[in-house]
Amino acid sequence: MNPITPIINGMAITLKHMFMKPVTLQYPTERPKVAARFRGLHALNMYHDKAKCVACYLCPTVCPAKCITVEAAEDANHDKYASVYEIDMLRCIFCGYCVEACPVDAVKMTETFELANYHRQDFIYSKERLLEKQ
Amino acid sequence: MVNLIIDDKQVTAPKTATIYEAAKLNGIDIPILCHDKKLKPFGACRMCLVEVEQMKGRQIPACTTPATEGMIIRTSTPDIVKARKMVLELLLLNHPLDCPVCDKSGDCDLQNLTYEYKVNSNRFTDEKFSHEIDYNNPLIERDMNRCVLCGKCARICDEIVSYGALTFIDRGIETKIGCEFDDGLNCEFCGSCIAVCPVGSLLARPFKHKARFWAMTKHPSVCGYCGTGCNLTLGVKDNKVLTTIYDENQGFHNGQLCVRGRFGYQFINSAKRLTTPLIKKNGKLTEATWDEALELVASRLKGGNAVAALATPRLTNEELALFKKLLVVNVGTKNFDHAAGYAHAALTEGFASSFGVSASSATILDIQKSNLLIVIKTDAYETHPVVGFEVNMAVKNLGTKLSIISDKRGKLSKLPDAKTLVHFPGSEIAVLNAIAKTILDEKLADGSAAAIAGFAELEKSLAGFSAETVAGLSGISAAEIKKLAGEYATADKALIIFPVGQAYAGHAADLASAAANLAILTGKYGKEGCGVLCLSEKNNSQGAVDMGFYPQDGGLNALQILDACTDGSVKTLLIAGENPLSSYPNHNKVKAALEAVDFLVVSELFMTETAAMADVVLPVCSFAEKEGTFTSTDRRVQYFKAAIRKNIKIKSDFELISDLISRLGGSAPLSPAAQFSEIAASTPGYEGLSHVSLRKEGAFAAVSMAPVFVVPQVAATIAAEAGKLALVTGSALYHSGTLSQYGEGPMHVCPENYIELSRTDASANKIVEGEVVTVSSASGSIKLKAKVTPRMPAGVVFSPYHFSDAPINTIWNGSPVTSVTVSK
Ligand code: SF4
Ligand code: SF4
Ligand code: SF4
Ligand code: SF4
Ligand code: SF4
Ligand code: FES
Repeated sequence: MNPITPIINGMAITLKHMFMKPVTLQYPTERPKVAARFRGLHALNMYHDKAKCVACYLCPTVCPAKCITVEAAEDANHDKYASVYEIDMLRCIFCGYCVEACPVDAVKMTETFELANYHRQDFIYSKERLLEKQ
Repeated sequence: MVNLIIDDKQVTAPKTATIYEAAKLNGIDIPILCHDKKLKPFGACRMCLVEVEQMKGRQIPACTTPATEGMIIRTSTPDIVKARKMVLELLLLNHPLDCPVCDKSGDCDLQNLTYEYKVNSNRFTDEKFSHEIDYNNPLIERDMNRCVLCGKCARICDEIVSYGALTFIDRGIETKIGCEFDDGLNCEFCGSCIAVCPVGSLLARPFKHKARFWAMTKHPSVCGYCGTGCNLTLGVKDNKVLTTIYDENQGFHNGQLCVRGRFGYQFINSAKRLTTPLIKKNGKLTEATWDEALELVASRLKGGNAVAALATPRLTNEELALFKKLLVVNVGTKNFDHAAGYAHAALTEGFASSFGVSASSATILDIQKSNLLIVIKTDAYETHPVVGFEVNMAVKNLGTKLSIISDKRGKLSKLPDAKTLVHFPGSEIAVLNAIAKTILDEKLADGSAAAIAGFAELEKSLAGFSAETVAGLSGISAAEIKKLAGEYATADKALIIFPVGQAYAGHAADLASAAANLAILTGKYGKEGCGVLCLSEKNNSQGAVDMGFYPQDGGLNALQILDACTDGSVKTLLIAGENPLSSYPNHNKVKAALEAVDFLVVSELFMTETAAMADVVLPVCSFAEKEGTFTSTDRRVQYFKAAIRKNIKIKSDFELISDLISRLGGSAPLSPAAQFSEIAASTPGYEGLSHVSLRKEGAFAAVSMAPVFVVPQVAATIAAEAGKLALVTGSALYHSGTLSQYGEGPMHVCPENYIELSRTDASANKIVEGEVVTVSSASGSIKLKAKVTPRMPAGVVFSPYHFSDAPINTIWNGSPVTSVTVSK
């Protein structure tokens, strides 16, 4: 083979790509399209004005990273609810088991993936932060 | 034995076994839902269906069908599995399926079976129940929507607890479990029904939503309240004891507990626990370091007999033995005692002289093996409820006869055919003597008796105790005394039971000897189902006696120690866990003594009234945070290890005493285990025991007896003064000592002191239930809530001693009977 041929072939590919649509996303000015089944930040579903979670402890039990803390309590109607619901996002491996385990469809994973923060404490998502945004 | 074939396996089983039991014995599991090994077969649920070839392959319940010779049984054919699935489908039809919010989830038989049989759909449809849920009861939540009508709760409450609070009410599809008139539950709150309920219909309210069953670690332990020595399992999560867990294979009692054991655990993690040593400076207790506090204490342990100590029999054997070593060897004092000095006298003086050993001559296991039980004071049920269960079962299931000699009626009196001989308060020893006299007069004594030392003296001393004389003295008719004497002497096996305790001042050495005399006279000791069982009060009362933690060779007893504090001859008083201010007789005297003593050291879990008076308070840990052994009232030595880690700022009594020993220049064993081997080497009956050998199961320390007759002293009749009422003190079912005040469960159902009086006295004084009355004696007066009950005889009132608010010792100075007036 002529030693110049590979170089020409290479240049041809380069040239071709110059006219193709770029793959690189100009984040943050450009945003990715997140698939519906993406496993991002958790959210607690609401039912009327209350979190659906009944504090059954199945998600902390199933969680392989042991990063969910639930504490159950009894409300004025004697219903069980989670007085504490916390996820430590530093430890979460986004496996989605918690969502799968939940018997009442109380927890879901959203499309939010921008979780960077400055303090460790800010990675502990309390119940208030996880509550589904209305 | 019968031979039968189960699932193609040739097996044998006892003649009395049901198919279920035969299978279980041979390692074949048949699923059950309504059956419980402690209860009579019931056959309500049909989960245990099996096929028996001889019955043409019909499906029959294994739990109610006796196994017979040659039976060929199959336990899991496809047909049976199908039938069991249908049983489950039908049960789930009305079941709310609220496992996510049900505290039983994870430990629920219905849930487990549903999972095992893969019942994930239901062919039937029906409405769910909508019974009202009882959320108001402080201890037991009842949700009958979840009930599978297995009847276990009602059966255990009847067959073992003998209370009968629960029963099936209404009929047909409306059937549910409820109380009389479908009312609230107000029972003795033993929690047995919760324990056996296979589903989440009955739940422990204090544990509501505290943790999931699977998230807790289960720590076997020994109850820290009374001398029965029940085994229990503590449910622990995040280093907190959250509940007690039922284990039907635990202990002689098969996991049964009383209200204190089941619901009284909250003191362990109480926020009121002391967490730092305190030293009194300028009249105020201020925080200090351990080093400061112990150095100060060690510097005051000089002067031999000027140092004295009182320890609670709730400490472990190891701690008591080590404490004794500190006192005898390193301090050089003889003055130490426990339990107010008289609550152990039945053992240390009574049995010690009558049987030559400071222990009972029978065990709790003898109760169900006996033919006749004589219980002195119905309070035996209140002081030792799980022993009471044994009595219930003996009487109800085995037809054992029960006679009670008591100053009031009580729960035991209600057992079928129980005879209660109600005597005037304080005359029990005379009654026992009259029985002895009758046995002698009617020549019913055992042939061996005459040869036993002291026979002649006893015979002579009983001259004045003819049934007729004592009838006048005690209020029990001569005929009844004679009848009981005859029954006791002629019974094949007979057992005498009596409780002792700080509130039972009359139950001391003489009562023990009088009871022992009966057993020795008739040869009813040292044999199965016979003997005299003294129910010692606290979890390690027998251990404290075995460790010798009571005054010997001239040491002062507890009450004398307090006197010596007042007169100044005792300068330093160490109190480990006792609360004399509330639980010893004569409040003012105790207070004066504690005020007078130069230096008072109290090691405690809580800031008790006694601790508040101390110069140094040392925070120590509870049984759940340490390891050691307790010896139950029938001398079963039981090992337990720590269920939770203790707060690093506190010490166990063992560590604290070890530290003091080294500060005084001595050397202490490194661990409780090492201390226990010293105990095993030096304590009669403990030979060969070690922490390792006790790890799996407790062992009885042997009791060897050398009986002699001892003449009991009978105090002149202690009748109430004319126009006054006779106050007898005692224990309430829901409490044990003063510790249970820190257990929330007992305080929910019995929060304050009360005085129980008969209807006659109540109406004579125009007192109604719940009214606050003033009770006065020669030594003081106190305001108590009145409780009017049919069990009290006219002229007699009862009050328990557990409460620091309104302590009964303000009007009681240690006499078995106190004359009081009750006014509005
Ligand atoms: S996604 Fe996985 S790791 Fe993260 S909280 Fe859920 S179960 Fe735990
Ligand atoms: S599994 Fe669902 S209901 Fe249960 S605790 Fe988790 S979020 Fe709550
Ligand atoms: S707690 Fe005990 S006494 Fe009360 S209903 Fe249950 S079993 Fe009966
Ligand atoms: S309440 Fe529980 S123990 Fe009682 S019948 Fe119902 S399921 Fe059985
Ligand atoms: S207090 Fe006594 S009877 Fe009750 S559970 Fe404890 S050891 Fe058993
Ligand atoms: S376990 Fe046999 S019928 Fe319920």
